[in-house]
Amino acid sequence: MAWDKNGRPNHIEAALCAMHENQWFTWTDSKNKIYSNLRLTEKFWDSTKPEETPHEEGMMNNPYTLPTESAVNAKLKELQDAWDAANG
Amino acid sequence: MALSKIDVANMVTGATPVANGGTGLTSGTTNQFLKFTGSTTLASAADNAGITEVDTWRLTSALTTSGAFLTANLERDDTYGNGLLGSGVTESSGVFTFPSTGFWRVFFQCNWHLTDDVRWANNKISVTTDNSSYNTAAVGATNGNDQGGNELSCSTEKIIDVTNVSNVKVKLYVSCASSQATWYSTNDNAVFATFIRLGDT
Repeated sequence: MAWDKNGRPNHIEAALCAMHENQWFTWTDSKNKIYSNLRLTEKFWDSTKPEETPHEEGMMNNPYTLPTESAVNAKLKELQDAWDAANG
Repeated sequence: MALSKIDVANMVTGATPVANGGTGLTSGTTNQFLKFTGSTTLASAADNAGITEVDTWRLTSALTTSGAFLTANLERDDTYGNGLLGSGVTESSGVFTFPSTGFWRVFFQCNWHLTDDVRWANNKISVTTDNSSYNTAAVGATNGNDQGGNELSCSTEKIIDVTNVSNVKVKLYVSCASSQATWYSTNDNAVFATFIRLGDT
């Protein structure tokens, strides 16, 4: 889990989710989610497309770039600080 | 002289009619059984052993989305006594293809971890019958405004008559309020779908 039982972000996946919407990232090993295993997906569903859109037409190329490890860690700390401030 | 015995092995050929106490069959087929199909007819029929296909797929990574089909980070359940019966469905870019025709039950469960106070979520099963356009076939929805906590859950299911495995396919859709995230797991089933073949079409 990217959050602990209280809801506090505790993994870089929580930071990745906060950076962009949709399935823009993936892992080379889903059971070992460390930064070096982080990859971009090639395509993902375009949320602006109607649900009945044929599948291939609804897929969009991934417009994002892989964030640096320090950027991901900084985002996680930002989320943790915000959670700590809100939850005392 | 009255016959006391009949040499069945040498004097009877072809199928003995049902009306005469036979089966109407000249031979049987391995793993099939005799099936009564009408007033007098018996036939050799396939042995329907009940459920022959069971499969479970799950999401392995969280995402935030205002609404999207799951197209990545899906894996077949592979932990804790996972039960794959038969060959299972296949998945490509979020499109699930059935291995055989028949009536299939598709169940889709979602759990959400919430990160703000706007709390709603839903999940859908979408089906195509022409391998092109999809229609929402089942919807689950939940609203947590009055629930408190930081988790929501909902599920939905659809019985699908898969008459053609090339044309009838399924996708899974999730949506939730912005900045919320789906709940995932790689060790247990938190966002997952089960596929069970119930019988012949």
